[in-house]
Parts: sequence; C-alpha cells; structure tokens
Amino acid sequence: MIADAVYTVMFYGFSAAVVILALAAVNMRQLLRAALALMGMLALSAALYIMLRAEFLAGVQILVYVGGIVVLIVFAIMLTRSSELLEDRPRTLTRWYGGVSSILFMLVACGALCTTPFPVQSDAQPAGDEVRKIGLALLEQGSAGYLLPFELISLLLLVAVIGGTVIARKTRPRNQPFTTGGDLRGEAIVQAARGQGDVTPGDRHS
Amino acid sequence: MQFVHTIAAAAATNSTWAPQTLAQRAADSAPHSLWLTAGYFLLAVVGVAALLSFLGMALIYIERKIAAHFQCRLGPTRVGPFGLFQTLADTLKLVFKEDFVPPKADRSLHMLAPFLALLVPVVLLALIPYSPNVQVADLNIGILFITAIGGFGVMGILIAGWSSNNKWSMIGAMRAGAQIISYELSATLALLVVVLFSGTMSLTGIVLSQQDGWWIWRGHAAGFVAFLIYVVASTAELNRTPFDIPEGESELTAGFHTEYSGLRFAFFFLAEFINMFTVSALTATLFLGGWMPFHVGDWAGFNAAMDTIPPGIWFLTKTSMVIFVIMWFRWTFPRLRVDQLMHLEWKVLLPLGFANLFVAAVVVLTELYPYPLAK
Repeated sequence: MIADAVYTVMFYGFSAAVVILALAAVNMRQLLRAALALMGMLALSAALYIMLRAEFLAGVQILVYVGGIVVLIVFAIMLTRSSELLEDRPRTLTRWYGGVSSILFMLVACGALCTTPFPVQSDAQPAGDEVRKIGLALLEQGSAGYLLPFELISLLLLVAVIGGTVIARKTRPRNQPFTTGGDLRGEAIVQAARGQGDVTPGDRHS
Repeated sequence: MQFVHTIAAAAATNSTWAPQTLAQRAADSAPHSLWLTAGYFLLAVVGVAALLSFLGMALIYIERKIAAHFQCRLGPTRVGPFGLFQTLADTLKLVFKEDFVPPKADRSLHMLAPFLALLVPVVLLALIPYSPNVQVADLNIGILFITAIGGFGVMGILIAGWSSNNKWSMIGAMRAGAQIISYELSATLALLVVVLFSGTMSLTGIVLSQQDGWWIWRGHAAGFVAFLIYVVASTAELNRTPFDIPEGESELTAGFHTEYSGLRFAFFFLAEFINMFTVSALTATLFLGGWMPFHVGDWAGFNAAMDTIPPGIWFLTKTSMVIFVIMWFRWTFPRLRVDQLMHLEWKVLLPLGFANLFVAAVVVLTELYPYPLAK
C-alpha cells in the first residue's frame, strides 16, 4: 500500500524532473548548460527504466548516452569557441513555422498514443536473467535472433572510427585516396585570416 | 552455453555462504514493518556517509605516512598520537577557509562541479561487497553499472575546468577527460575478462564464483594479464602519479582544481581518495576473491584455518594491499608525457586487452582451468 504510494510519487517526481530538464536543454541559451540539462534528463530517464525493472537498459543508457554522448558534446563545446557564442534569436517567421510544426507533431503523437492499445501485464515479472537472454538473442541466427544487425552495427562503428581518424589526421598521407586534408585546410584558413590581421594568435585559445 | 550454467550452478550449490544485502533485507521486511525498511534505508545512508568520511581521513593520513617513509621522513607526528589527528586539523582548516569563486567564472557550474565529482565514488561505495552481509545493494548488472558510472565521473572534472574560466584549469580538465576516456576502454576490457570467467555481472556473484580459486590465477595468464591491465588503467583513471598530467604542478599549477579553495577543494581531494579506495576494492573483488578466504585445492586443514578469519578482514587486507601498491607507484615511476600516455593506452594496453579477451574466451570455451571446479 505505502510501497505503491512511494512508487507512484517517485514516478511522478522523476517524470516531472525529466520534462523540466528536457525543456531546459532546449531553451538554455548557454550551450554547456544545455548539455548539462540533457545529461540530467538522460540520467533520470535511466531511473525511470530502473523503476520499470529494465536494469540493463538503464545501465546502457547511462554508459552510452551520459558517459559517451554527453561527454562528447561537452568536449566539442569546450574545444571550439561555441561556448562563448549564444544561440541566435530566430526570425519571427521561423518561430511561427517551428511553433506550428511542433504543435502538429504533438497532436499526431498524442493521437497515436491514444489510439494504440497498450496491453498492460499487471503481474509482469522480470525474467531475472535478462542480461544472458539479451546476449543470447544478439548471437542467435534464427528468426528470433539479431546476429545480422549486431554484426552490421560493428561494421558501421568500424567505418565511423576509420572515418574519424581520416578526418582528424594532421599530415596529408601520400598515395592514399581517402583524405580530407585534415587540419591542413583549417590551418590554411587561420593563416589567411592572420595575414589579414583578423585573428590574433592568442585569440583562438580562449 | 553449457559452461555458463555449470559455473552458475556450482556457485549456487557449492556455496556455504548466504550473502544478503541491505537492499534485500529492506525489501524482505517491507510487508511486515515499514519502520524496519526505513531503518535499513537509513542504515545504508548513514553507513555510506560514515565510511566516506572515515576513508577520507584514514587514506590521507596513510598516504602521508607512506610517502614520508619512502623518503626517509617521519610524516605527520605532532597533532595527536603519531600525528593521527593531522587530517582532522587540515580538514578543519579547509572548512574555515574562504570559499572563493573567481569573478569571471560560471558561478553555478563552479559550485556544482565538486558535487558531481564526489557523486560517483559515493554511489560505488554502496555497490561494493565488503563481506557476505555488508553490502548496500547487489545489482545484477553490477559491472555494467560500475563502468557506466565511471564514465560519468569525468563530467565533474570537465565542468570544474571549464567553469573556472582559467587556461590552466581548462587544459587540466581536457587532459583529464582525454586520459579517463582513453583508459576506460582498457579497464572495461579487463573487467570483461572477469565477466567471461564468472558468467555473471553481479559483484557478489563474482565473489562466489571464486570459491575454488581467485580469477587472478584460475584464469591462467589471461586472468593475471587482465589484473595488470586493470591496475594500470584504473591508476590512470584516478589521475594519480605516474598518470597525473591533468594536475602536473610544474606546468598547470594544479590543473582543473586550480581555482578551487576551502571545502570545494576538499571535495575534489576526497573524491580522489575515495576513488582510489573503490578501485582497490574492485580489484580485490574481481581478481583477488573479494571477501573469500584463501583456499588451496584440497588441503582441508589449511582451508579450515583460513575460514576462521572473518571475510571482512580478508576483504580489508586485500584492499589495503592494492592501495599500498597504488601508493607505491607514486614514489617509483616518474610522470608520463602526454604522448607517452596516449601511446601506452592506444598502442600497448588496448591491443593487449583485446588479445587477452580472446585468450580468455578460448580458456572459458575449452574449460581449461588449472583448478577445475570441485563438483
């Protein structure tokens, strides 16, 4: 009885915090604070997963989103000058477009939520060993398994890693067809700007 | 998949231990008495808080004493017997110091960062199995959760460096971030070896799986190499010497916490020491059998003698040994340069970790353990 009440209070508390932090992530005008609000929102939705007894999903959520993606976003903000830049105020017309389309999207989403039946299993018990089941399902070749998507994702990650390395490398490699020139192009831009006196050397590292 | 089941079944039936966590007790008592549940909850909170403050005091004193004896000094001797109250005096001094926030700093983030840094070790303290009956909660995704939370830990440092609005802080934070994110890969690969061996991610399950031999030698060379990789990688994650370039004094003043003073600086300091404890405790739990006593094959008399030592003492002894080794590192190895640091991780530890994981998988699949499970 009281346990149910505590559960309900916790659910609404976490939900309210998630909604508030999501709004903050969108509305904050300082990028780093927006990233922090996003971090809080993702971490608290992991708490909601734990309340639904999906512990593995919660762990992966924190590992991938909070520890990986948000840290990456924070790195990107810190390494560029975007931390000093505030978001531009959009034009009035753009705001109207944005407002109308988001209201329309909300109506579609609400309609879909209202018309879809969600069968609730009131006595749903967690299997207990869900991690092992997920692992076996990922390696299963039959119709119930996910071996092909699993292997495809690893290929995709490999491509992303190699692509990132190619883009980030500083020296232009000889006899290699795939290169963007890396930093060299950026250095050329900075050199040109320095020549015109627009950028002082110390100005770039703030 | 047979091997997984044999190990799990052996751990379940063979076990003379019946571990019970505080969370389990609280859940069991909920139908009878909510006051008891609330009591267990309170006990967990108070216990973790007490452990946190005690460890902070004790580890700082021990570090100073060990450092002093490595350098043929005596260390703190004046405040209290053997200088035992030195840390207390230092903490009091820090409490009364001005809590200074630089005028151009991002005030609220500057205030928030120390709490973020301290959050991770506090959560980890609740997950460590200290003894069969002393553990706040045992998650069935324990290892995954520890890895996830560990990645979260870098945020406090990054935010501290950025919000200070100081170049030294910023460079220190970026170095710390790059270092922690890089070495996390190797540490996770080493943890995966243990998960592979024990067939479970729960920390108590891992301790129980080491009843017939600790993973450091039951897993052939793979267990030992994983142990070495984990100790090196987690020392780097701790930002301790020889991996302390984020706060290299000669280059960066104090790195990410240059602009912190008073109690907020103490928080970073405390977080660092508690992190050292949690890393040592996890090393002991994963590779050295946790609270499991030392047993040798079928020497019944020897094993019975070892069983008379309480599991809590075993855990404490193993953890203190790892802590001593980490402190020993500090006075043995010189600080690495940034390029050496990255070279060590990406060109040495990471390929070694992958190869080691492969070897471990072969060992588990062929069940070629040097000490087979007693069936």
